[in-house]
Amino acid sequence: MANKKEETASFMLRFTQKIFENESGEPQIQWRGNIRHVQGGDEKRFSEFDDVVTFIQSHLQDLTIQAMEDKTPEEQKGILSKSFDLWKRMAAEAPKMVMDTIKDPKKQVAQIQDQIQDQLSHVKDEIGQKLDIDSWLNSSKSDSKLILEKLEKLSGDISKLNKKVEKLSKKK
Amino acid sequence: MTAIKNKIESILNKKSNASIRIQTLGSFQIWRNEESVSSKEWGRDAIAQLLQFLIANRNRHGLHKEQIIDRIWDEVDSKAGQQNFKVALHGVNKILEPTRKSRTEAKYIIRQGVTYQLKTDDIWMDVEALDDFVAIGNQNLVDHPTLARQAYYEAIELYQGSFLPNRLYEDWSSEERERIQLAALNALISLSELLTKENPLEAVRLTQKALQIDATWEDAYRIQMEAYFEKGNRPMAIKTYKQCEKILDQEFGIQPLPETKSLLKKIQGVQ
Repeated sequence: MANKKEETASFMLRFTQKIFENESGEPQIQWRGNIRHVQGGDEKRFSEFDDVVTFIQSHLQDLTIQAMEDKTPEEQKGILSKSFDLWKRMAAEAPKMVMDTIKDPKKQVAQIQDQIQDQLSHVKDEIGQKLDIDSWLNSSKSDSKLILEKLEKLSGDISKLNKKVEKLSKKK
Repeated sequence: MTAIKNKIESILNKKSNASIRIQTLGSFQIWRNEESVSSKEWGRDAIAQLLQFLIANRNRHGLHKEQIIDRIWDEVDSKAGQQNFKVALHGVNKILEPTRKSRTEAKYIIRQGVTYQLKTDDIWMDVEALDDFVAIGNQNLVDHPTLARQAYYEAIELYQGSFLPNRLYEDWSSEERERIQLAALNALISLSELLTKENPLEAVRLTQKALQIDATWEDAYRIQMEAYFEKGNRPMAIKTYKQCEKILDQEFGIQPLPETKSLLKKIQGVQ
């Protein structure tokens, strides 16, 4: 039987956020990162989340193959196929969740907070205090601030443009 | 200002006065009253594993015995795990307090029921000191840059390499390794930024150190370009940009940020 070590794969994921303006002055966001398979030490850098999914999939597949060395080829095929199906389901959902979180971190964190809250209140009402997760929201606050500043600038520009258009209309 | 100086002094004094000193960055070593604990004293690896686990989790108050066993010795059955823990705990106490009388309470490994914790008040640890210095640096970067600089230098000096390099493949050590590496990078980048105008060659050296930790850290390339430019060395500034461009393309398939490109234009524009 496979021991516990062979049943575990841990991954360390680092995201680095870069917010910048493109040539037209529009705010842009870029995510860079690296993922490391802890037990094996392999590491990969990425800027697309798909690469993370492929990296994890490849290591999980190795893990499954190692764990069923004593099985018959038919059994191996069946387990591998089920493992792949499981991963396909997870891989389809996980990037969406990450992307949603990147797009609207506050909303996603609030949803997770609500979910935890629901679970807590089911388990024990008296420990169901609201979890303090404000410190998790730092990056989203700066995002929001930047977006607000850009919106304010945009709003000012539109207002100026409107005045010019009005002047031109009057001249006509 | 005096309060900040005192804070820095107290961290440095703790290193000189603590009866136990632990190095975890770059290598693992313990000094007991200035004397290094020999490899012979360590005996079984389980003893070092338990102490290192408690160091990595020093901020999680009260670790349950079963939780410790499950994280460190997850490959063995429950009975063997319990035995490992018992032997390792005895070994750790023996390493930290070799002259402690039996049946007296341990000074450093605090037990409360079935939970255990490393009491760090009288222990100097490089990771803790590094954390403290980086915090002082960050807090005083704007108002007291000279003190911030001193604190960052102390932090950088402590970063001798990865956290517990001999446990690189253990998942319980990964979180702390990642956290400390980012703290060290932060210190290197902030300090090199502080020194770009005043001492550009030192800023170059610091950014090179940052790039040894992470060769894709774009901020380090940008500061290095500025430092070379400040020094009047345009060719090296441009070469640094080329290196940055190459590595970002190789590793991420992306281009440098507009900020880095603008800096290149500025450097190229000056004849």
